[in-house]
Amino acid sequence: MNATPSSPRVAPRFKLSPGWWGLVPSLLLLAVFVGYPLIQVFQISTLKWDGVIAGQGVGLGNYANLLSDPDLGRSLITTLIFAALTLPAFVGLSALTAIELEGTRLERIVKAALFLPGLWTIGASAIGWYTLYAPDYGVLSTLTGGVLALPWGDKAWAALVLIAAFTIWQHLGYAVLVVSAGLKGIPSEVLEAARVDGASESQVRWQIIVPLLRPSLIFLGVIGSLYALQSYTAVFLLTRGGPFGSTRVLGYFLYETAFEKFEFGYGAALSVLVLAVAFTFAALQARALRSE
Amino acid sequence: MPRGTIFGRVIVGLLTIFALLPILWLAYSAFLPPNAALQGRIIGDGYTFDNFVKLPFDTLLRPLLLSLVLSSFVAFMQLVIALPAAYAIRNGTPALGIFLFLLSVPAELLLIPLYGLLQNLHLLNNPLALVVPFLASPFTVFLLYSGISKVPWTFVEAARLDGASNLQILTKVIAPLLRPEMTAAAVLGFAAHWNLVLYPRVVLNDSNWWTVQVALTELLRKNPNAWGTLGAAAIVTSLPILILYIIFERRVTKTLEGGLK
Repeated sequence: MNATPSSPRVAPRFKLSPGWWGLVPSLLLLAVFVGYPLIQVFQISTLKWDGVIAGQGVGLGNYANLLSDPDLGRSLITTLIFAALTLPAFVGLSALTAIELEGTRLERIVKAALFLPGLWTIGASAIGWYTLYAPDYGVLSTLTGGVLALPWGDKAWAALVLIAAFTIWQHLGYAVLVVSAGLKGIPSEVLEAARVDGASESQVRWQIIVPLLRPSLIFLGVIGSLYALQSYTAVFLLTRGGPFGSTRVLGYFLYETAFEKFEFGYGAALSVLVLAVAFTFAALQARALRSE
Repeated sequence: MPRGTIFGRVIVGLLTIFALLPILWLAYSAFLPPNAALQGRIIGDGYTFDNFVKLPFDTLLRPLLLSLVLSSFVAFMQLVIALPAAYAIRNGTPALGIFLFLLSVPAELLLIPLYGLLQNLHLLNNPLALVVPFLASPFTVFLLYSGISKVPWTFVEAARLDGASNLQILTKVIAPLLRPEMTAAAVLGFAAHWNLVLYPRVVLNDSNWWTVQVALTELLRKNPNAWGTLGAAAIVTSLPILILYIIFERRVTKTLEGGLK
């Protein structure tokens, strides 16, 4: 490219595409604010650091502590229960809703209604949920004289159900859109042909539509699992990990470790662990989808 | 087209009620008099505008305005930064993989090293911490790229033959054609930034820089039973989202459906 004036111009071996400079701002910013932290998290994970004074190296000590931390074990179990509560409902309800709505008059308005909670000011959503469903002074509890009070102030199961319900409430609309996109990719001739051949509606649904939706459903399963692994906003807004640590999912455990207990090094080691799991999931999904 | 079932319709109906109930309740409770929660009655005590009039400025309305400014600016800058990147990829620079990889990195898991980085850059307790890390969004790049790859490239080549520079092509040819994708990306980018809850608490502990979410969580923590005040605060702070959604709902859902195929 820097051809000297005397030499004849040679076509450069590596030709830059027009407008390549357009990538510079994005890549620079992302290198600093995502790339660098992604490397730095490994370094911090070898430190004992309180977030204020410079940390001291402890080698792999944080990782050794991870293995013997009973709180982490408990948090893992909580996360698994949380995933078991949310994932089947998330995938199943979105598939059912999308199939049910496809091509109906109400499709657009119902989808719009279901998607709205995902964008709604989340602090306001928390207020709505809290005032409706609070076990003592909530609307539901007050109006039914306590019969329909979900005791999430003192019962672990109720608190987890609440967090799971809130999470599904927030994300169902997006999941329906994902399945709908998959549905619209199924040629209607396929379904008509099956019907002409005498397939019943439930056969069409279970033996043709659902298998053809596999990529969308796998995608939802993976993003749902990744979300379960790291989410903590709902927990922070509604239960703050309680009662008695029963809603301390992994993401919230991580947040507490770093920003309430100020154990940044230990938190970073935990981040590395969860990152490894997350990337394994994403890689497995890529493989499952490629084999379609 | 699949055919529906009665059972399916009932479930979808219940889900729709479940989705809208908290929002409708907020809109209703905003007009309840202060004694409603104490007496446990939600009808029969009349309605009032007082809850709106009495909303505190410093601990709610100022954070609301601050969030409006910051989230709008971030959403706008995300477009300005992502559009040339998407254009460069469409022109053949092989960088799409980098963005897809960055898209798959869960940002929540990088909060600790990001905190360390902001500390080194002296951006902790600085409002810039609410802006700079969000300016480049891999999601926006991806969304705009999937839009740009549907643009007939003969338009661009014709403009090039007429001597248009890349910058002119971007602003005069591509940007107008990408209005739908840019709108959807801006709405989603705005909502994502607007709805950050823990990040602003972590990087800024100065009440002068409360964002709308910090203000709402504090309000709920301090007055958990003030249905009227809470409802009014929740509705006022949700208006920006509601307005955006009413205007652009179609664009957003269409783009998400189309971009996911």
